[in-house]
Amino acid sequence: MQSTSTKPNYGGDEVAALVLDFGSSSLRAGYAGDDTPKAIIPTSFGYLEEEAASNGDVSMGDASAPEGEQLQAPKPKAKLYIGQNGPSLWRRGMHVANPMNDGLIQNFDTVPPLINHALSEVMRCNAAEHPVLVTEAAWNTTANRERMAEIMFEEFQVPAFYIANTGVLNAFAAGKGSALVIDIGQSTASVTPVVDGFVLRKGLQHCALPQLVHAHARHLLTSPSSNRPGIQLLPHQLIASKMPVDVGVPPRFTLREDRIAGTTDSWRAWAEAHEVDEWIQSVGGCLVQGWNEQFAQQQGPRHYEFPTGYNNYFTGLERFAVGEQFFTHSTQLQASNPNLPKTIPALIMSSIGQTDLDLRQVLLGNVVLTGGGSLFAGFADRLATEMSRQFPHVKIHAPGNPTERRYGGWLGGSILASLGTFHQLWISKEEWQEHGKAIVSQRCK
Amino acid sequence: MAASAADVRSILAIPEPPVAGSSQPTKKPQGSERAKKPDGIPRELYALIGPHAPTLAAQFTKPRLKQKPNLGAGGRVKWEWRPFKNGARSDGLRLSHWAKAGTDTESEYQFAKYNVQGTPYVYTQDEYTRLLEDSSWTKEETDYLFNLVREYDGRFFVVHDRYEYPNGPRRSLEDLKERYFGVCRKLIRNRPWIGDEAGKKAVLDSLTFDKDREVARKNYVASLEHRTPEQIAEEDALYLELEKLKENERRFKKDRDELLRTLCGIESGLPDIHADEDGLAGAAFETKRKKKGVVGSVEPQTPVTPSANTVISLPQPQPKKTSAKSAAYDALHCIVRTEVDQTSSSTKAAHVPVHLRSYKVAQPKAALAPRVSQLLGELGISHTRLVMPTRDNLAKFAALIDAAQQLVEIKKAVDKHDQDIQTTKARLAALRGETVEEGDAPETPMDVDDGAADADGEGDGRAQSVMSTRSARSRRQGRRSMSVSSVDTAGGPNKRQKQR
Repeated sequence: MQSTSTKPNYGGDEVAALVLDFGSSSLRAGYAGDDTPKAIIPTSFGYLEEEAASNGDVSMGDASAPEGEQLQAPKPKAKLYIGQNGPSLWRRGMHVANPMNDGLIQNFDTVPPLINHALSEVMRCNAAEHPVLVTEAAWNTTANRERMAEIMFEEFQVPAFYIANTGVLNAFAAGKGSALVIDIGQSTASVTPVVDGFVLRKGLQHCALPQLVHAHARHLLTSPSSNRPGIQLLPHQLIASKMPVDVGVPPRFTLREDRIAGTTDSWRAWAEAHEVDEWIQSVGGCLVQGWNEQFAQQQGPRHYEFPTGYNNYFTGLERFAVGEQFFTHSTQLQASNPNLPKTIPALIMSSIGQTDLDLRQVLLGNVVLTGGGSLFAGFADRLATEMSRQFPHVKIHAPGNPTERRYGGWLGGSILASLGTFHQLWISKEEWQEHGKAIVSQRCK
Repeated sequence: MAASAADVRSILAIPEPPVAGSSQPTKKPQGSERAKKPDGIPRELYALIGPHAPTLAAQFTKPRLKQKPNLGAGGRVKWEWRPFKNGARSDGLRLSHWAKAGTDTESEYQFAKYNVQGTPYVYTQDEYTRLLEDSSWTKEETDYLFNLVREYDGRFFVVHDRYEYPNGPRRSLEDLKERYFGVCRKLIRNRPWIGDEAGKKAVLDSLTFDKDREVARKNYVASLEHRTPEQIAEEDALYLELEKLKENERRFKKDRDELLRTLCGIESGLPDIHADEDGLAGAAFETKRKKKGVVGSVEPQTPVTPSANTVISLPQPQPKKTSAKSAAYDALHCIVRTEVDQTSSSTKAAHVPVHLRSYKVAQPKAALAPRVSQLLGELGISHTRLVMPTRDNLAKFAALIDAAQQLVEIKKAVDKHDQDIQTTKARLAALRGETVEEGDAPETPMDVDDGAADADGEGDGRAQSVMSTRSARSRRQGRRSMSVSSVDTAGGPNKRQKQR
């Protein structure tokens, strides 16, 4: 191995491993060692019930459904529509479902088709030839990860498997072994203290804050206000034609009446959520220096047009109130809703409060901001402001590249699975057959 | 219409090129230089380009930036996708990677060597019962702790995070560390040690853990962290204050040193006195040197009485006995031998370098200079320049300056005392209500020359009457000072008259 000493050695040894990163909004898949995932497909999928007769939910086997909430589960024989042309194409009677809830996979029945679509249809590779690294949320249950291992080994016949924590992987993607990872996803926000590549479970905090932000934005748009009526969140799939109208004037459009009847409630909800998200991403923002109504007003309005043709200028007050939900809750909201998700500063405070005093300096000096939700305009600056108010020495690592920010977990997995020293950690098929499910918790700490 | 090449040449005064026939051979080598047709251009197109557009043709050639490094004796390296055996794995998983074709297929995996395990401390049941019994720890919990430490490679933060012993008490990080290190220390102490004592001590030192100290430290850190912003601000302010005080002290010390240095010179005992060779030192040096060099050497037998302001007077150097012969020789050739001061010859400050006599013309003190120059001006003497600076002249001049200075100083002292007398008188008059009518005198400062005489007489008598209650001694003192001043003032106008 003389040659390795002369050339730069990154400790990498690629074995053509695959990395699968499950998120609430999308499933990322690609080869380890790449810098961006090859396949990014929405986690939401459409399905058509072939026989509307049977209505009983399919039991999910042993212990995979401990949670009380039962999602709309497609029937085993249902026709699934997955991928870029899945839920976004209107189909008569098509429902939309998402196997994820609270950052965890709740419905494993549709996971194999999703993975299969990503690996076989998009990447065109055979999973049986590649070791596979899958990510999981830090609060994943043992049953969940064992079920995932089972799917990979039994259904995809992978030679080796590993399940890694997104918090740890995000820290790795930022080049850090110890970090405080703040991950803002589509449905969940989490704060994860990572030390030497291990999650400190006692300091782990997560909540459904992004959903609250979404709900706030939706309420803002649909409820009539003093200067405009409530906005109809109709997706373009349901609109046959529209006329250009002036700002603030009621829209003039014709609906595709033929489609209205065949539209399911779940698809409608999915499409409306999509419209709200689009609006948030276009006009929403965070005030860097904290909430200041006057300052927000001065920021100026921004124009946005909905698929119906309705268009208006959204004032700074409206735009920044959306982002403000991440950081502060109004007393009125708190009073009316006792189970309000914690704000980001509160999450960080309670997470830091749970960690050892000696670790706090290390963690606060290595804050990693990641997740697509953190791309909210002004979010990183606001977070820096909030944190520097609370703690004296804070250093926030927020990748400027949106791809790195959105797919940080996948990127960390890509780095980890291409390391030469990592290959001893894979759970091989042989070990799986020998030790069974117990090996997963034993190996993936 | 269009200007030909010849026109251009004639305008620019460029010599005519050689005729067509002779130009052929010069073009030939150009053609042969790039004779090879670059890749990627059809032959016909290249022929069209001809020899006239070399820049365009150059674009088609492959860019040659740098010689490619010749790695490993040239030749192509063949790589192959082949499975490898990872020595760090216990099972037979064979993953594949790209490897050089010629290399050993069954060589040890490159990264297996990084799979190092720490040496875990283990104990037997016998050792546990003999040494490691602890009232707050069961053997099962100790085993659990040791397993966790091994599992997480001694990362105690993680061990503490994952520590969930069923039905066990809540353990702090310090508890865990104390138990673990305590057990390890006991094991090492009581086991036969292979190796030297120093090694054993080093290992024991690496395993020491003082729980109380750690807890105290953590409490301190926590108290630091729980300071309110006001406390932090106050602390900062106090720190700034302290820095200011320190700075003040430093400046004060510096000023004091500076003062000492100028006043006492070497005698101040300060370490960093710098001596200048060429008379640029402070005023104290100047006067000292002057006295030694001019006064001391010129008239050693009759030293001029040192002026009142020279605080320190160095011992006058004793003149060396010179033989009669050499004295005669010196007198004949006008040689003056200055004495070298033996006591302070070692320091630079005492050293008088070679100089022209005219450079060392005595100067009045800076504070008195205007008055002295005025005085000399009245005498008709220019003190800035001596026409004939011989030794005797210089000595006389120095004496004159000295006398003038003394005169001015005495005059000043007289003025001051007169002023004092006036003010005291005024106070006295104010105190004695009956003599208010006489109080016109003290209000206006009197002219010293003529006012002194009458003030003297009055003041004397009044002072005596006032100070009847005082002791005789003080009265005498007072009278004496009066008389002195009166004498001096009497001398003042005298001199003036003389001057006039």
